[in-house]
Amino acid sequence: MTTDTAAGDRISLPGGEMLAWSDLRTGGPAGGGPLAVLAARVVPAGARVLLAGPHEPAFLDRLAHAEVTCLLRSHLDGVALADRAADRAVRVIVGGPAGLPAGEAYDVVIAGSGLDPVESVEGARLGWDGVLATLAGALRPGGTLLLRLDNPVGLHRIVDASPWYADRDDAAWTIDGVLHAGHPANLDQLRGRLTDAGLTPDASFAGYPHPAAVTALVATGELDRATSAGLFDAVLHGACTGGYADRPVLQDPARLAVDTLHAGLGNALAPAWVVLARRDTATGADRADLPVVLARTGPPEVGVMEVVATTHGWHWRVTDPPARSGPAAGPCASRLAAYRDAGALTGPVPTGRLLRTLLLDACLRRDLDTLRTLLAGYAGWLESSAVDGRVAGAPALAGVDNVVVAGDRFAVLDPSWRAAEPLPVDVALARGLWRFAAVLLTGGYAHPWSSTLDLAGLTVVLGGMAGRELDRTTVAAAVEIEAAVVAALRGLDAKGRLKLADELSALEPTSPPPGPESWQQLREAWLRQREELGRVRAVLGWTEDLLTSRERALRRADAMINLLNGSVSYRVGRLVITPARWARRAARAAKRRLRAALRRRVVREEQQ
Amino acid sequence: MHHANHFYGHAHVLARYCGLGDRHPPRINGYVQHGWNIGDGLAPGHPYVERTPSLLWSEQTRRRAWAVGRRNVVVTGAPFAYLLALRPPEPEPVEREGTIWYPFHGWEGQHVKGDHRELIARIRDTEPGPVTVCLYWHEYGMRRVRRLYERAGFRVICHGYRGHWWRDTDPLFLDKQLTELRRHQRVASNRLTSAIFYGIAAGCEPAVYGDPMVLADEDPTFGGTARIRRQWPELHGESVDLPTAVEIARAELGTDHRCAPAELRELLGWAHLQENDVDD
Repeated sequence: MTTDTAAGDRISLPGGEMLAWSDLRTGGPAGGGPLAVLAARVVPAGARVLLAGPHEPAFLDRLAHAEVTCLLRSHLDGVALADRAADRAVRVIVGGPAGLPAGEAYDVVIAGSGLDPVESVEGARLGWDGVLATLAGALRPGGTLLLRLDNPVGLHRIVDASPWYADRDDAAWTIDGVLHAGHPANLDQLRGRLTDAGLTPDASFAGYPHPAAVTALVATGELDRATSAGLFDAVLHGACTGGYADRPVLQDPARLAVDTLHAGLGNALAPAWVVLARRDTATGADRADLPVVLARTGPPEVGVMEVVATTHGWHWRVTDPPARSGPAAGPCASRLAAYRDAGALTGPVPTGRLLRTLLLDACLRRDLDTLRTLLAGYAGWLESSAVDGRVAGAPALAGVDNVVVAGDRFAVLDPSWRAAEPLPVDVALARGLWRFAAVLLTGGYAHPWSSTLDLAGLTVVLGGMAGRELDRTTVAAAVEIEAAVVAALRGLDAKGRLKLADELSALEPTSPPPGPESWQQLREAWLRQREELGRVRAVLGWTEDLLTSRERALRRADAMINLLNGSVSYRVGRLVITPARWARRAARAAKRRLRAALRRRVVREEQQ
Repeated sequence: MHHANHFYGHAHVLARYCGLGDRHPPRINGYVQHGWNIGDGLAPGHPYVERTPSLLWSEQTRRRAWAVGRRNVVVTGAPFAYLLALRPPEPEPVEREGTIWYPFHGWEGQHVKGDHRELIARIRDTEPGPVTVCLYWHEYGMRRVRRLYERAGFRVICHGYRGHWWRDTDPLFLDKQLTELRRHQRVASNRLTSAIFYGIAAGCEPAVYGDPMVLADEDPTFGGTARIRRQWPELHGESVDLPTAVEIARAELGTDHRCAPAELRELLGWAHLQENDVDD
């Protein structure tokens, strides 16, 4: 083997490198903080680690306690990585998997982008099993492999606007799909291949919302078991809403994710799986410290939240340093309506089902009794959290997508999102209901009310179902607060906030939902517009007919009046009452004059 | 919108409930179901305008209406349920006595055929106390029919004219009916009709017996009286189980689905009223 060195002593070039290629440029590397947090969790201090394939540079920051060797196919990425890790114990090998130095063994091998990107276009292809065998061979006995596998029929492919088999990207020099028998296509097949490679499969996680950007990892065992858990509902929905914000899709990925969760298919249709496996170990070491959920909720800078299983149920655990631990200080602080306090994520995770899901289900079934019970419970819970009519902290921002219900108990699921200032309880309620109304109407969900209601109107109706008399002024104030809260959480400036407020106020029942452009939801919005147009046309036609009928009745009445006006009895009667009409006219004029005189007198007295 | 919304002063009751006072009610954006109904909530032959909201009494009617192709069907409860909210029972209610009996009525377009004498004999045989017979305006105006009941020794009343084409609606029709119902121990009819459900909701013991009579050109689409007897056998007979009747009446009148005033204003299209929309 010929080994050249370039870009410093850290980069080895054993052959097979791709000089004009970057996985970082093509968006290929494993994304998201949760995978890096998990990797850091399985790497003991001082361990020798092989990072095989492209990874986000943040991985190196997470693995600062280890001695890391990176195996990359892209020379550009290798140089960038060597520069970034200049002061750390990091070695970079740029080439294909065959370039791994013989005889070296690692405590942990991490392939967070899967095995395919480990291979280069140069040299002989090893195939999926071949790369696995190479990496497994690089593990010392007792060592751990952390491997990601993309699901060939995962949620991301089901919602993709383009079929997977027509991929035209530069990275698609081969397309390994579900038809290729040499590639595992589900979790069981993956475990089988690992066993065949001499490894013992260990814990596994479902990765959402997209293989290229995993922002949520959920333990597969718990995902299979707790199919209606509010926590999973919120985590998967949140991940899929944020994860597809900039790409067109066939259908709403968040809806599909929650549906698959409830159907017990959360693992089967996960976009990716992340598995741990050990070499030459019949049973794994203690894995009790592995999380149930690792998820990045909200903007990237807010860090990763973690949930672990204990003997007393699920508990929050803070692993990432919070981005902000209180209301922002400084000149802009007074304008920020909300902030995140990761320190609030302690103690047990409240159990129960997500209120949004319960409400949607009741709307679809037109179950007014259940809707009334849930909404009244929500309003009552908000009121019970209020002091002097104002609700503060986490409950103030707790919309139906962050409240879980167990029996008649309501609780905030994730208490880290907090209002900077207490909100009037009716405004907090109206905000929660308005947000739900927006989901219901723009999402095209069937519901028990008429299409003649606009967003504010439906909010008032929902308030009525909750036993509360909201008015449109309160709803307008709630929309303003919503814009301020979203602006604060997204870090928008004043201009951005105003633009957002305009967008929210302009939402109509026939609008598609804000966010990713889903073909299914765009079509539904078009159908709603067509139906409304049909309704308005029908009303217009009916009104025209009615107007014609009323005009005819008016003409008949006019004719009758004219007939009566010309009659002798009418003329005689009119003559008789003429003096009385004159007298009434004179009395009115006198009354007017008297009032004017009184007004003038009052004004004079006030001036004196 | 449709003049049937004003029948029996329904629109007036809803306007009062919504806080609009006793003024002429504004136009309603939809059809208010104006009587208990075994069909889609609208009267047979009702000129339906596509996708115009139907504001129905009960969840069962809503399901039925949807199944026959109606859309924008919303359960709001019966106007009578709103009147009950406006006029809760007196703290010291009047002593209830006797039976208020509603012979099945026709209307201006359909006359009833049946033997009133036979019905009177049945009422006399059945009712334990004094009887008030409430005739529909149409029959009340037929001197021959009215006399038949008066000669039988019954008190004969009429709640008023339901109105037609927005004219002559008695805005206190339902009020008068509620007042009368609260004076009586029992409510009875020869058909299961709105009045029976109103009576149950107003605290009367119900009974449905006697010749149901025949309505000229009765629309058989939804099964007629035979289906009513099949579907609600518990409410037929000279005496019926009161708790069961109360439960059914709650469901059929949609009492639990009564909206809050602000909610109802939105559903009726009264949330954006201009000064011109409300007449004195």
